[in-house]
Amino acid sequence: MRKASRVLMSILAPVLMFTLLFGLWEFICVSNNIPKWLLPSPSAIFSSMAANFTDFFPHIMISFGTVLAGFLLAVPIGIVLATLITSSKTLSAALSPYIIVLVTTPLVTLLPLLMLFLGYGQKVRIIGVVIQAFAIVNMNTCTGILNVPVIRQELMQSVGATKLQSLRHVIYPTAALDIFTGVRLSAIFATTACVAAEYVGGNEGLGSLIIKYAQYLKTTESFACIFFVTIIGLFMYGLVSFLQKKVVYWRT
Amino acid sequence: MPAPKIEFRNVTKIFHTRSQTIVAVQDYSMQVETGDFVSIIGPSGCGKSTLIRMLDGIIQPTSGEILIDGQKLDTSRRLPRDILRRMGFIFQKPNLLPWYTIRQNIALPNKIMGKLTKEDEAYMDSLIDMVGLTHYRDAYPVEVSGGALQRAGVVRAMVHKPEILLMDEPFGALDEMMREQLDIELLDIWKNLGITIVFITHNVEEAVLLSSSIYVMGTQPGRLLERVEIGLPRPRELGVITTERFAAYERKLTGLIGKLELKNIK
Repeated sequence: MRKASRVLMSILAPVLMFTLLFGLWEFICVSNNIPKWLLPSPSAIFSSMAANFTDFFPHIMISFGTVLAGFLLAVPIGIVLATLITSSKTLSAALSPYIIVLVTTPLVTLLPLLMLFLGYGQKVRIIGVVIQAFAIVNMNTCTGILNVPVIRQELMQSVGATKLQSLRHVIYPTAALDIFTGVRLSAIFATTACVAAEYVGGNEGLGSLIIKYAQYLKTTESFACIFFVTIIGLFMYGLVSFLQKKVVYWRT
Repeated sequence: MPAPKIEFRNVTKIFHTRSQTIVAVQDYSMQVETGDFVSIIGPSGCGKSTLIRMLDGIIQPTSGEILIDGQKLDTSRRLPRDILRRMGFIFQKPNLLPWYTIRQNIALPNKIMGKLTKEDEAYMDSLIDMVGLTHYRDAYPVEVSGGALQRAGVVRAMVHKPEILLMDEPFGALDEMMREQLDIELLDIWKNLGITIVFITHNVEEAVLLSSSIYVMGTQPGRLLERVEIGLPRPRELGVITTERFAAYERKLTGLIGKLELKNIK
């Protein structure tokens, strides 16, 4: 019974919050008669999302494809680099500075140069997403690996485990929660990086649509695209959370 | 005359930290015969855990020699699997991996050493039955009590049929009753399997109950102070604790360690 009420509350709480926030937004727009080009009401935005869905759909798929491809490349790159960095001081000294430089340099400053070198296609946007998303996986994986208790490493040594066996049986599972924190953040970073790349160049994807609609004061459509970006971000976040529950089953 | 099962010859281990140099073990020599049950006791920081970690190749000695069956170990690098296979290491904590079931944890050494035959599985299951873990074999560590976890840790170290068991204060974290029960179970295992055991503890009563001889270590630097032969008859039951001979050994060892600890405080 208590479990049922807990489940009910976990569903009700976000629904109530959503209703409250969007209800307030709707109320402010309607009661103050705010023009649509300045701040459209949520109902107008949802209507636009439904009415223009066929126009939005190809751009949604392009953005989603960029996010997914970049994310799927960034995660293994981040994990493999972290494994190398934590296994050798020399590799750490060689690679870490460049990773820090990539993290600290804002992506929007790199994108125009990347586009100059590589063109305006989807590939360059995927590269942008990878640059933005891999570092956070990398850093969290490094933290997880470095925090593996000595006693577990000794267990592997005592049975003569190879480096790969230690990674498989002890290091990755122990670091799994940290790795997933990085992967979840990288899913979010991938979405924002994709939109940033579409802002900067090209004429496809939700980012470029947001800019285009904003220039013509089609704020409702612009917001509709922002909502679709949010849905992509939430989907990615949810997907990673679902995977974490399946993979790190001993912590659930 | 056969060579001792384990031999330490003038082994020294020095750790260099950022702020100081620590002589964890200095000029330590010891001989353990095949099938013997030997305990090493001493105050915290006397290097007793370092000793068995050096034997198992987890830590490399700074100088000296370690031999198994008269064969000198190449301690300058990680020990090869054929040497490691002859030893089983039991940690202070159960050290089970939470993502594996009890049975998967116990099977790990064989799996890592590249061998898990039908006979191995049958032997593993017989050990699981022997220590009363039959009902827990498919449970995850989080679902099992502390005593059962430590039993699983003991079985895991024996599953590949080692000739030597290295035990690093294995029951130190358990309550008195559970510890005594596991001590008696360990004596049964030792009697049945005929393996050589090196047991680290700071508990004098436990050391006297289990061992044939006890090595007392001192601190700063960690070194061997005295070897005490325990002449109590075997097989031993818990009742032996109440005998006068047991109490005499206990008093002798407590006196030795007590002096050490007083010296440390001073």
